[in-house]
Amino acid sequence: MSDTWRRTLAVGLAFVVAITGTFVFAYRAGRQVRHIRTENEPIRAWMSVPFIAHAHHLPASVLFQAIGVQPREPRDRRSVRSLAHDLHRPVPELMAELQRAIDAAAQPPGGHPR
Amino acid sequence: MNEQLLAAVSQYGAPALFGIVTIAAIGVPLPITLLLIVAGSMISQGAMNLWWAIGAAGAGSILGDQAGYAIGRWGGPAAVAKIGGLFGKRASLRAAEAKAKAWGGPGIYITRWLLSPLGPWINLASGTARYPWHRFLLWDMLGELTGAVVYIGLGRFFSDRVMALYAVLGDLRHGMLDSWA
Repeated sequence: MSDTWRRTLAVGLAFVVAITGTFVFAYRAGRQVRHIRTENEPIRAWMSVPFIAHAHHLPASVLFQAIGVQPREPRDRRSVRSLAHDLHRPVPELMAELQRAIDAAAQPPGGHPR
Repeated sequence: MNEQLLAAVSQYGAPALFGIVTIAAIGVPLPITLLLIVAGSMISQGAMNLWWAIGAAGAGSILGDQAGYAIGRWGGPAAVAKIGGLFGKRASLRAAEAKAKAWGGPGIYITRWLLSPLGPWINLASGTARYPWHRFLLWDMLGELTGAVVYIGLGRFFSDRVMALYAVLGDLRHGMLDSWA
């Protein structure tokens, strides 16, 4: 086998390896993206009500109403912990109430889950 | 404390982000990647300005990195050891010194954003090794701006899945840090 052939073969193999690698990484990246997209976003005490509402594709007013808070204007960015402090209520209780409101919005009465 | 910092960024935006990333760049272990992702999500919600966020994150990190470099360069071994001991990272510091010497500029760049837990130790090690300041500044600026754009951009794109994204990035980073070590 001549040197030119050997070189052509090596370049061809490198090309095949590069293409295969790209597909493998793209597939794995796609799987990760799907995993991120389907994962349920947990509620954390540092999150604000608009932040939680955004993560669950709900209007913030629905969640404010569910916990009985009149939001401050123009934007109420208080964290759940800060709201719990202002309302003199335990943080887990407020988080559970928000979760119930999210679940209720996801499954309207008599309907199927979103 | 992490929760309070996240709440501060969520409530006060770019100024809080600037202060926190500055402190983290000096060596205090704080969840900066998560903060940048949260900032990206807030941009998507219209609660923060994109350029302010990138500017605050970039400027804060560069300022903190320069402070770290200055401590390494002019503080002497005693100051460096004190900082290493303060955050329980003497071993990381020794490892960083070896890596800083081997990798040079690209090492500085990559530890600004992809392997950011090593960043503060590379800053100190670069100062101790008297790596030229103008080169350190150049790689530092490039790396920190890359980090700000990448993580804020990801947070903006996955604005409704912040915690899931952070978990995936954490796994990736652990893998990379293991292969680096």
